[in-house]
Amino acid sequence: MIGTWLLVDLSAKRTGMKPLISVKELKKSYHGHDVLKGVDLDVASGATTVVIGRSGCGKSTLLRCLNGLESFDSGSITVAGATIEITEKKHRKSERNFQKNAKKIRSNLGMVFQSFNLFPHLTLLENMIKAPMVVKNISRAEAEQNAEALLKKVGLSQCLGRYPSQLSGGQQQRGAIARALAMSPRVILYDEPTSALDPWLVDEVFQVMKDLDAEGMTQVVVTHELRFAREVADEVVFIEDGEIVEIGKAEQIFSQPRDERTRQYLGRFL
Amino acid sequence: MNSLLWARVSLLAFCVLGFFTPDFAHAKKLRWGGDSEGGAPYILQDPANPERTIGFEVDLVAALAKELGIEPEFVQNQWDGLIPGLKRGNYDVVVNGLEITDDRRAEVSFSDPYFVTYEQITVRKENFDIHSLADLRGKIVGTLKYALAERILEQQGGIEIRGYDSQTTIYEDLANGRLDAVLLDQPIAVYYGNPDKRLKSVGKPVGQMQYGMAIRKEDKALLGLVNAAIAKLTLEGKLREIYDRWGIWTPMLADYFNDPSPSRPAVEYDAYIKAMGIERGWKEKLQQYASYLPLLGKGAIVTLELSALGMFFAVLVGLFIALVRLYAPAPLGLFATAYVEVIRGTPLLIQLFFIFYGLPNIGIKLSPMVAAVFGLALNYSAYEAEVYRAGLLSVPKSQLEAALSLGMGRLQALRHVIIPQATRVVLPPMTNDFISLLKDSSLVSVITMVELTKVYGQLASTYYDYFGIGLLTAAMYFVIGLPFVRLSRWAEKYFSKGRAGIL
Repeated sequence: MIGTWLLVDLSAKRTGMKPLISVKELKKSYHGHDVLKGVDLDVASGATTVVIGRSGCGKSTLLRCLNGLESFDSGSITVAGATIEITEKKHRKSERNFQKNAKKIRSNLGMVFQSFNLFPHLTLLENMIKAPMVVKNISRAEAEQNAEALLKKVGLSQCLGRYPSQLSGGQQQRGAIARALAMSPRVILYDEPTSALDPWLVDEVFQVMKDLDAEGMTQVVVTHELRFAREVADEVVFIEDGEIVEIGKAEQIFSQPRDERTRQYLGRFL
Repeated sequence: MNSLLWARVSLLAFCVLGFFTPDFAHAKKLRWGGDSEGGAPYILQDPANPERTIGFEVDLVAALAKELGIEPEFVQNQWDGLIPGLKRGNYDVVVNGLEITDDRRAEVSFSDPYFVTYEQITVRKENFDIHSLADLRGKIVGTLKYALAERILEQQGGIEIRGYDSQTTIYEDLANGRLDAVLLDQPIAVYYGNPDKRLKSVGKPVGQMQYGMAIRKEDKALLGLVNAAIAKLTLEGKLREIYDRWGIWTPMLADYFNDPSPSRPAVEYDAYIKAMGIERGWKEKLQQYASYLPLLGKGAIVTLELSALGMFFAVLVGLFIALVRLYAPAPLGLFATAYVEVIRGTPLLIQLFFIFYGLPNIGIKLSPMVAAVFGLALNYSAYEAEVYRAGLLSVPKSQLEAALSLGMGRLQALRHVIIPQATRVVLPPMTNDFISLLKDSSLVSVITMVELTKVYGQLASTYYDYFGIGLLTAAMYFVIGLPFVRLSRWAEKYFSKGRAGIL
């Protein structure tokens, strides 16, 4: 655990900035099973962090805790100055505070899901403008203008009036990324964004994420796609059994993993 | 006898002056309750003009009201609910063939009898075995439910009794051979049994019963006034005149009122028989059916109003209950669950009775319309709540998460993301429920609402025509429901946008 701390400190120093996301001692258990056993993680502004690990290791749970979709037992999460902190387990008042703080934290976070989760009853354009209009009270005209620009960026200018069911998986996921961007978040979280896609559609989604990285967007990506991790990640986080085993620059993790468990997981990829 | 009666009148008049309450003095109208579905000769829709209510009791009340110096106002009420309606204050007096019995006396006060009659046995023309009550043993005998005749048959024993809701069908079943005999109040036999060429009345009068006007126990002043007026009408021969006109004067009445003078022509009876007996060609028949339309139309409008209002509130309350059940903290959620189980688990009829006749006990007195809408909305809200719960649950949780992660609050997510998607799912069952409510609204006739089914009952019992008028009424229900089915189909299409190929 102390080792992890040191690494985190190092990563913050390396980028020379205050971390945009800071997770401290995050613990969560579910039906007596410890899903997260005290996770500490800092994410620097502008970095793309890729979280890898076996299915069920807790990486998705970590991501869902980050934007308050899931509660946790203790620890704290700070995103751009707003904090959720839980010291006591299951307290009515803390639950209410949790929801309040979760909403605050979410205002800086966008989320992209494995199954896209576009709203099926709305066209792509309506999917894009709904939240800006409802949450930020932006006028329809302005929201549409903004949405069209974003859809152009992800290559969906031709699909404004289509419903999600009329789009391919890759188009849906690119639309979902654009929808997240429409709320101008400071960080985008990706929960296995390509797992539900046919193999030939994976690259078009990764291309969008690469472009965003190049523009300096902060991204946290949970994925099994090690190729993407190696090519795009500024940092790679390897989680096993609810603990961070190793954090490092992509080339370091993929060429010289420090921990035996990392080495085993990466296996043939090394 | 005459001098005795006079003494009674003056004594009563004296008492009345003493009891005269300002409350009643200021009441401009004599509100009286009865059931026009009860039929001839009591209270019925005029066969010659179905929008008019006639009957010997209508004439009687008119004479009575004139005596009291106020206007009569008829209040329609289901026959078996006449006493609860009186106690509830829907009207001040019941005049509708109500026999004076001890168990009724426990509930209300009765005026002096205004009519005395007996039970009459009626059989088919070709029957020569039945001459008395004793001969009915082992036979199938029809009568009205809850009537005194039913009790007489029970006491006799060994008789297979068939209880009916309306007298029109009893004699028809007798003529058809479903029954061996009918035992009913003599005036009913005169109007429904005797005109039928296939039937005949036999035997001596069975029993004796007296019709009285029921009045709330606390309205002693009114009771005094009514008794005085009945006595006066009797003395002046006006009562006798009414009974003569309706052809229901009997030796028993002559005995009771001590009036042996010969009867005068039964003009009302003749008019009734004439109106009923007219053989009509198909053209006249069509004209006749067309003449029912205004009344049925009025009933249909009431049904539509009731159903639309009932459904509107059922939807609002149902949605609220479903949301509470799904998203509110535990104690509230439990309350919502209990609400659904209790309301759904008890019959609408009981709920209506409870709301209309029960709630006044704790000081809540609702008008029939409000009570009816309240009852229907209450009952259906429980069903709607479950439909909406199913609809909301049919939207994957990931949709809520997507909305939350875009910064929406829970309510915003519900309104903009979850409910629009759930709507598509709940429309077909909701349409079902509305059609079902439309038909269930016929139950509110028990709380004095005159809606489509009640109008059907009134017309059908007046004209003996359950077939043609029945078809007409059924068609009206169908037509009322149709636009809503269309609307729902359109709405379903609208809310299924983006789901091409799924429908």
